[in-house]
Amino acid sequence: MAGKKLTVVISQSQSKNPAHRDLEETIAADLMMSGEVEVSLVPHLYDMSRDHSGMLFLKGIPGDIVFASWLYPRAAFWTLDRDGIRGQEGITTLHDEEDEEELSEENQQQANGIGSVEVPPRKIYCLDLRSFGDAEPYLDEVKRIVSEATTQTVDLMSFIQGNPKQEQLERYLNPLPILNGNGNGTPPANGANNGSIQNGDGATASNGEPEKVSRRWYPVIDYSRCTNCMECIDFCLFGVYGVDGLDRILVDEQDNCKKGCPACSRVCPENAIIFPQHKSAAIAGAPGEIGNLKIDLSQLFGAPTALEQAALERDTELVADGRDAVGMTVGIPKRQTEENAERDDLDDMLDDLDNLGL
Amino acid sequence: MSPELTFAMGQYEARIPTDRLYSENHLWLKPEGDGYRVGFTAYSVRLLQDVYFLSWEIESGTTVRKKQDIGEIESSKALSDLFAPYDGDITRFNSLLMDDPSLINSDGYEKGWLYEFQTEAELLTAEQYVELLDGVWEKTQRVIKGQINES
Repeated sequence: MAGKKLTVVISQSQSKNPAHRDLEETIAADLMMSGEVEVSLVPHLYDMSRDHSGMLFLKGIPGDIVFASWLYPRAAFWTLDRDGIRGQEGITTLHDEEDEEELSEENQQQANGIGSVEVPPRKIYCLDLRSFGDAEPYLDEVKRIVSEATTQTVDLMSFIQGNPKQEQLERYLNPLPILNGNGNGTPPANGANNGSIQNGDGATASNGEPEKVSRRWYPVIDYSRCTNCMECIDFCLFGVYGVDGLDRILVDEQDNCKKGCPACSRVCPENAIIFPQHKSAAIAGAPGEIGNLKIDLSQLFGAPTALEQAALERDTELVADGRDAVGMTVGIPKRQTEENAERDDLDDMLDDLDNLGL
Repeated sequence: MSPELTFAMGQYEARIPTDRLYSENHLWLKPEGDGYRVGFTAYSVRLLQDVYFLSWEIESGTTVRKKQDIGEIESSKALSDLFAPYDGDITRFNSLLMDDPSLINSDGYEKGWLYEFQTEAELLTAEQYVELLDGVWEKTQRVIKGQINES
């Protein structure tokens, strides 16, 4: 038998959109019936606290993981990393058309960052559930990953014949299990409260209280891009950032972060700071650097630059806290003040135009 | 006097209670304590239909300006940003809606309230709001049909 089975984790949508639930449940049910992989559902990744049973389960997975969520893959991968669920980035062939355009650009800019630490030799494949409306492409991709990951160990016959083991059948009959923190894949005995499990209501902490998942807001650092330049720690005046024992930047006090404020991600010169829930795709971790690829003519009509915008957003939060606005006087990277910013923008836009080959 | 007015949206009759005030962006504001409780009018709920997801981009206790982008809503018919109705302070959000936004559909004038709000602005009466609806309904229908034809 296979030593380490591939584990597929589906992280549920925050939205009650029935199309989202259907997709999650269809993928989970099909994979469970196939019997080839372990399947689990957990609440929305970004909202789970570090001691949530779903998070503890994720930490307990020893082998390769396919992580399907309603987040950009980059956002999901680095949110997992931040919570200590690390691995090498599994390369998925699952991309919607929009991603394809960005892909070459994305590959060009890899490996400038400081990288993660203590990365175990296993792979984490992050799939974006927003890419396709039906389950088929995801099921195909899981099959492809299974064949790629463990060609020599997988017993294909049992998969084809579809003989689920007893516990797999049980989970199929009691769908949407949130697993206990012991990581052995056994659903809790009360896993039958159908459907109410979303948002973690169905999970039960050790004290018997239902586990609450509330909406959160904090930055996630993409260490494949982060160069440890410290501009974010200089800019943020709310004490969100800190450094670890190796003097690497980290999100130290995430709950100090101001809901809705993405200012530090605008300041980051490497686009390494992700706010997975931000409306702007570039800030939410979309592939490539959409902000630089697409021309934003609003700057011609007097919109603030990214740094000005960041300073405005920070001032709003400072004033809300009863502190004084500081504008552009504190923590603004020197690169901007040394150069002629206005001319810069124009140059950037012209370069972008040239790159687009119009 | 009737405790509520109605506004006909085709076959559907949107209830507009007279025990509260209104804003031009289709919210009701009912006096509560030293401020208002704010929610979607039956008119806006009818256009949204089933609400799936609601998210706020500001913390409670935030001073907002009229038309400031404060959140987002997803429903079976729409994905839309949400904007502050007037200059004022948003003091508290309805936490029940984070788990179950469908209260907006099932009890939009009571349990499905969105947030508590303090403002000095002059608000619309139910009569004024219905007048406003009379003025915008034709245009709204054209917008909706236009969008449907495009897709």
